[in-house]
Amino acid sequence: MNITRLLFLNFIRAKGFIIALFVLVVASLLSLYIGKTFIEKHQKNIQKTAQAQQETIDRYVKFENKEMGLLLYYLKFGLVNEMPNLAGLSIGQRDINPSTMSVTIRNLEEQKYNTELHNPMYQLLGNMDFGFVLIYFFPLVIIAFCFNSLSEEKESGIWKLLCSQTDKPFLVIVQKIAIRWVIMEILLVVLLCIAQIYLQIPFNISWIIFGLVAFLYVLFWFALCTWIVSFQKNSNQNALLLLISWVLLTIVLPASANAFITNIYPTQEAFETLIESRDGYHKKWDLPKEPTLQKFKAHYPQFADFQHPENKDFSWLWYYAMQQMGDDEAQNAVKQFKNKLAKREELSKNIGYFFPTIHTQLVFNQVAQSDLDNQLKFWEALEQFHEKQKLHFYPKIFGDAPVLQENWQQWKLDFFKSQFQIHWAEKLLPILLMTIIFLILAMFQLRKIIV
Amino acid sequence: MTIKYAIIIAEQVVKQFAKSRNTRGLFAFFIIFLGFALQIGVQEMLNHQELAEHYSQEVRQRWEANPDKHPHRMAHYGYVAFRQKFPLSFFDFGMDAYTGKSVFLEAHKQNTVNFSEAGHSSSLLRFGQISAAMILQILVPLFLFFLGYDLIAKEREQGILKLLFTQGISWQTLILGKTVGLFLASLFILLPTALFGLVLLLSNAFEMDILLRYGLLILAYTVYFFIISLMAVLVSAQSQTAKSSLMKLIGCWLFLILILPRIAQVTGQNVYPAPSKIEFDKNVEAELIKQGDSHNPDDLHYKAFKDSVMKAYGVDSTHKLPFNYSGLVMKEGEKLSAETYNRHQARLIEIYENQQNVLRLTAFFNPFIAVKNISMALTGTDFYTFNDFQAQAEKFRYQLAQTMNELQIKHISNRVKNSADKKAKLDRQEWVNFPDFKHHFLSIQSALDAEKVSFAALFFWIMLLFFPIRYANQWFKII
Repeated sequence: MNITRLLFLNFIRAKGFIIALFVLVVASLLSLYIGKTFIEKHQKNIQKTAQAQQETIDRYVKFENKEMGLLLYYLKFGLVNEMPNLAGLSIGQRDINPSTMSVTIRNLEEQKYNTELHNPMYQLLGNMDFGFVLIYFFPLVIIAFCFNSLSEEKESGIWKLLCSQTDKPFLVIVQKIAIRWVIMEILLVVLLCIAQIYLQIPFNISWIIFGLVAFLYVLFWFALCTWIVSFQKNSNQNALLLLISWVLLTIVLPASANAFITNIYPTQEAFETLIESRDGYHKKWDLPKEPTLQKFKAHYPQFADFQHPENKDFSWLWYYAMQQMGDDEAQNAVKQFKNKLAKREELSKNIGYFFPTIHTQLVFNQVAQSDLDNQLKFWEALEQFHEKQKLHFYPKIFGDAPVLQENWQQWKLDFFKSQFQIHWAEKLLPILLMTIIFLILAMFQLRKIIV
Repeated sequence: MTIKYAIIIAEQVVKQFAKSRNTRGLFAFFIIFLGFALQIGVQEMLNHQELAEHYSQEVRQRWEANPDKHPHRMAHYGYVAFRQKFPLSFFDFGMDAYTGKSVFLEAHKQNTVNFSEAGHSSSLLRFGQISAAMILQILVPLFLFFLGYDLIAKEREQGILKLLFTQGISWQTLILGKTVGLFLASLFILLPTALFGLVLLLSNAFEMDILLRYGLLILAYTVYFFIISLMAVLVSAQSQTAKSSLMKLIGCWLFLILILPRIAQVTGQNVYPAPSKIEFDKNVEAELIKQGDSHNPDDLHYKAFKDSVMKAYGVDSTHKLPFNYSGLVMKEGEKLSAETYNRHQARLIEIYENQQNVLRLTAFFNPFIAVKNISMALTGTDFYTFNDFQAQAEKFRYQLAQTMNELQIKHISNRVKNSADKKAKLDRQEWVNFPDFKHHFLSIQSALDAEKVSFAALFFWIMLLFFPIRYANQWFKII
């Protein structure tokens, strides 16, 4: 045990150690602050949306209260894609896709894809959230700690001395690396604890998965480092090899995978959706009313009794039937579009099984509900929400219910909470397997060491 | 004499690289990787152009196929504008993935430009995109640092440095020679890439403006590589051991490429907070409410307008006016609302520009940002190019709405009840007469104007790095 203590003391007294850890801690704390700001911005945005909705409803109910149909042309109802505080650690695509959507009961496809306002330069640069710090910076520090753990001994001549004193010199190397590993994991746990308190992250399955994957990610890099070190190359070669691994795993391979995915699943259906929904609605103005009404009633048999007044150029029944056609006629394209996106997400996950960096990022975003999958679910929730609003208001519009009899105070924001099943094995096994493979390879290699 | 020695040293550096099989392999890797990236870039650009072209034609055909109708219905039927990719965008994807590709243009309302690639991507996108620019900006410098870190430090470690100085070689000669050697080596990557890029470019576009941009682009990267080479050699000259030189250079690379831009981003966003969509809309709406509802000719806010029009024509009812009054009101409303929107939009863009300027100014600490901004501007994948598209689309939207209003004012009688009236229909030839939307690109001049700061920063860097050379004797130690 004495030697462990010695190795430990030797390590923490090294000059670079304190600097590296300091930089890492500062970067992590900064990332937590960025995450906190992001969550607060989201909360503020919810408040503002709720307030705007209330004000709009009050104003229009006051001034446009003659016809239900006209009033609902204007009124917008908001749905919030609830963001767990965990998203502060892994912002993912949440800075791109809006987390609150306000829609009228007119056709949804023209509203569904509207974007937040943002500065594209900043999206391009990306967020420095904790996930970023962990995925990019932790490995670099690990590499800096490990790359010369064997070569240093050899280069300084201590190795020979060591070999003469023990018959299992590789155990010393393993111990050296293990000490660094324990220190890094402790640092990680401390940072996660700070994050939990600072961001008020609830202790639930998502959080446990996040923590475990982070833990395994750190272990993975130690396994990889041990393996490279075990080839007994000199320090420079080790540094070069490890850095190349880092560049490949964090930059080149994920970016190539993305290029591959976008290439095999192009999303021209987006344009198709846009054009079809536009024509589906607008063209109906110049067509005979009867077919439109019939199609509408086929879609909603419960409204079959409402009639378009004869010899009238306009009725709200006809108007909302036209709007409905916009959505109905784009349905095919919409389905294909969503299908494509789901396929993109699926393929990303499959590729991720083989690359711990990708896997870690995807798992983080998944449990933080900031991935494409969450966006797809939000769209579906928005569709249901829109449907619910329509079903509530359609009979009142068609039956010309008095505006002031409706309880307008009940229309607050709705909240969508994404449900997802966590498969422990799927989240933990890929990265665990990679780690074990490298550890076994490293052990074989290290056992061969004699002098 | 100095020059001659410098040339000999440079030659040695290049030969030394050429001797190592690993180094040759890495050069080959980079050249192939860049070629691959360019090929992907061209493919993606052509795919996009084909799609944009296809759907633009589709939109045009559907527009023209509209039957005779009331012009205001056409104003609501609207148009869809598709963003084109600049012919050089294959070289640098810039922020293309993060900006929308299409926008629905209709009367009374400014829609957002939707369907950005980022919105359709899995989280993988945030690892970055493989483009020639990304490889040249991020990966090649790291490679150059690896090649250059021991150029002087190793000679110091081995005691060769002392020997060199006793032979009368000065610091200036040594640094210049080593830098030029490393820089020449970098050209072995840049030149084939530039050439291949040029071939790809010429097979798609042949315009003076674009060729000029391309030339400047390659020049910017050349200067960037020179700065990187000089940095590597200077750090090597300053370091006691090769190992510490490598550590410093990697630290620099991380700080400049991964950390500094993100810190600049957070700073910019906090110093210049931008409104969210809901705030923006609310502000615009608040002003529009004051202006009244132009869709409703009896709107109280338009009463004064109505009175003045009737007075000018000496009539007591808008029905007696010699033109369509509700068309006139809508024209006025469109004008007011567009002005309001444009004012708010200009303010928003100003905020974004201020935010970006925080980043742009860090180019004086960070040549990477300088070359990144210049590269995006020249390849038409920057913020200005996108903004310009948005502005063109809005201008087209405004023209569309106002043209339809003019038609209504001129041709529709005041006696028609509504847009369904048979007499309210205009011949569909009017739709055909309305010109198609064409996305035009900014000239090279505006790209240069936009990135003056970045060019200045690159220049500043060269000046800055020549200082240590000038005063090398005082700054660097031989042992």
